[in-house]
Amino acid sequence: MTEELRNKAKELLKNKQVELIIGYQRSPDGICAKPCFIDKETDTDLLIWDTYCVYNLSNYLKEYAGRKVGVIAKACDSKSIVVLLQENQLKRQDLFIIGVECRGVVDEKGAGFAQKCKSCLSSNIPIYDYLIKEREQTRKPLEDDDEYEPIRKIEAKVLLERFKFWQQEFKSCIRCYACRQICPLCYCPKCVADQTQPSWFSKAANLTGNFSWNVTRAMHLAGRCIDCGECERACPAGIPLREINKKIEKDIKELFKYQAGANQEQKPFFACFEKSDPEDWIK
Amino acid sequence: MTQKIIAKEELYKQLNSLAKDFEIIGPKDLFNKGFFYERLDSAQELYLGEGFTTEPVKKFFLSPSEWLFNCQYNNGKNSLEELSLPDKKRIIIGVRPCEARGLILLDQVFGSQGYKDEFYLNNRRRTIIIGLACAKPDAACFCTSLAGSPVESRGMDVIIFAKGDEEFILEIVTDKGKEIFGALGQVLNETEKESHALEKEKNKELVIPKIKVPESLCSIFEDAYWQEVSRACLDCGICTFLCPTCHCFDLVDEQRKKLRCYDGCAFADFTVEASGVNPRPTKKERYRQRVFHKFEYFKKNFGENLCVGCGRCIRHCPVKIDIREVVTNIPVTENK
Repeated sequence: MTEELRNKAKELLKNKQVELIIGYQRSPDGICAKPCFIDKETDTDLLIWDTYCVYNLSNYLKEYAGRKVGVIAKACDSKSIVVLLQENQLKRQDLFIIGVECRGVVDEKGAGFAQKCKSCLSSNIPIYDYLIKEREQTRKPLEDDDEYEPIRKIEAKVLLERFKFWQQEFKSCIRCYACRQICPLCYCPKCVADQTQPSWFSKAANLTGNFSWNVTRAMHLAGRCIDCGECERACPAGIPLREINKKIEKDIKELFKYQAGANQEQKPFFACFEKSDPEDWIK
Repeated sequence: MTQKIIAKEELYKQLNSLAKDFEIIGPKDLFNKGFFYERLDSAQELYLGEGFTTEPVKKFFLSPSEWLFNCQYNNGKNSLEELSLPDKKRIIIGVRPCEARGLILLDQVFGSQGYKDEFYLNNRRRTIIIGLACAKPDAACFCTSLAGSPVESRGMDVIIFAKGDEEFILEIVTDKGKEIFGALGQVLNETEKESHALEKEKNKELVIPKIKVPESLCSIFEDAYWQEVSRACLDCGICTFLCPTCHCFDLVDEQRKKLRCYDGCAFADFTVEASGVNPRPTKKERYRQRVFHKFEYFKKNFGENLCVGCGRCIRHCPVKIDIREVVTNIPVTENK
C-alpha cells in the first residue's frame, strides 16, 4: 500500500494537480508515525502507511484553504472532511483525497487497537478521489461490537453519581486546549474560552472552569463530531473525552437518525428539519 | 553527605508519622491515566516506580492558577485585599533530578535579580524535597546532554535510590533533610558505598539520546527552517504546561479576584495586543519563540539553557514534535 501511496503522491505533484501532500512519515524513534508535509516529488518516498498512522490530518486542511492540497485520509478522517465541506470551510475542488482502507490504528495509551477502531467499518470511506485498498485484510471490523457499551454504563448511573463521575474526570483537566487544537472541527476564529469581554467561564484550571470548558466544547460538537478520537488521544490528563461526545452522538442517532460525516450530500445536523422530529419536549 | 540504607516500610512509616505536621505530596499511579503528583492520605498510595509523572512538580511552586489578591470597590473607593500566604509545611517525595533542576532555574526567574515573587518563594520555603534517582530513563530522556544527570541531587534535600523492591539508599543533602531523616536507616559501610557509587556511574550511562545546542541562534532568526519544523504543531499548550521550566503566565480578573494562570507561547492569543495586532501571527513565530526562549534568551539572561531534558514535551506531544531533533538540526551559520 505504501508503494502505491508514494507513486500516487509523486504523480499528483508531478502533474501539478496539488502543490502539497499532507501524509505520514516515520518519526525519529523508528516506530511511530508523524504528520508530514510534502511539496517535492523527490520527498514522496518519506510517505508511509501503517497502523501507527493515528493522526487525523484533516485538521491541517483549513490552514491551506485556497491552495490545492492532497491529503491522506482514513475512514474516520474522511468523515471530518465531509463535515468541513458541509460547513463551507473547504472547497471540494481544492482537495485531492487519497482514501486509505484501514485495519485500525494502534492505541497509543494502551495496547492493541484504539477503542474507536473496534466498531469501525473501516472500508466505508464516504469521500475520496483515489482509493488505496487494503490487500492483506487481517482483521475484520467487529460489526457486532457494541460501541455504546461504555456510554450505557455511564447512563445507568443515577444523576448525582454521573455528575460526580464527570467532576472527578474534569478535575484533572489542565486547560492546555490540546483537545480543541487537535480537533478538525474546532475552528472558531475566536474560541469562547479565549474571549475576555465578556469572559464566559473561568480561565483558571479549577473544577468550575474545567467543567464549563469541557461541556461547552462537547455541546459545540453536537451533531458534528465524527469520533476520530483525537481529543482523547491528545489529552495529557487522560480524560475520556470520547465518551462525552459519543453520548451526544448516540442521542442524536436515536432521536433524529442522523450520523455526522456519513454522507456528503446531507446537510449539517443543525440545518436539518423533519416533520417527524421528536417534539414532545414542547409543552 | 550521609548515605544510608533504609527499608521501604521504615520510610513509609516515617512519612506517615510526619503527616501530622506536613502535607505529603508524591506521585500516584492513576492506571490508565498515567502517574500524577497528588496530596497523599498515606504513604502507601505512593508510586515510586520507574515511570515519569505527566505533570512536573512545578505546579506545587508555580500554581496553574494562583489567587493573588482581591480588588474591592466600596463607597467610591478602590482597595486591595492582600491574601495571607499558605504556611502549611510540605514534603514532596519522588521528585526526579531533572524536575529539581527545573526548580533551580525557576528560582532565577522568581527569586533573583531584583524581583522576588513571594508566592513562589513561599512555596519553596515551606517545602522539603525528597528526590528519586532515575533507574530507567526512557527514549525521551536527554538530561545528560543538558548538564544534568539521572542520579544527581541538586535542588533536593534528600535523594533516594531504589534498591530492589523493598529498600532504598538515602543520601541526605541538606540540613532540612537531616532533620527529617537523620535518625533513620543504617549508615553504609565502605563496600556498600563503593558499590553504590559504581551503580550511580552506571545509571548515568543509561540516558543515551543527545541534543546539540548551537552556541547562538541569532543568525537564523528569519530562516525558513522555523516554518518547516512548526508545520505539524497544533498550537496547544501541552509542551509548555508540562515543561518543568516554562513559566509564562497571564493575569486574569474574575469578579474581584486577580488570578495568575499558566499561559504559553504556543497559544495564538498569547501575544495579541489590545489593538488586535499579533506580533507572532503564525505557528512559525510561536514555535521559534519557544526554542529561542529556552536556548537563546534565557542563556543570555541567566547563563544556562532553560531546558533540563526531562522529555515531557516529547513524550506527550500529540504530533510527535521532538525538540532534540529541532534544536540539533538548526542550520546555524557561523558568524565570525
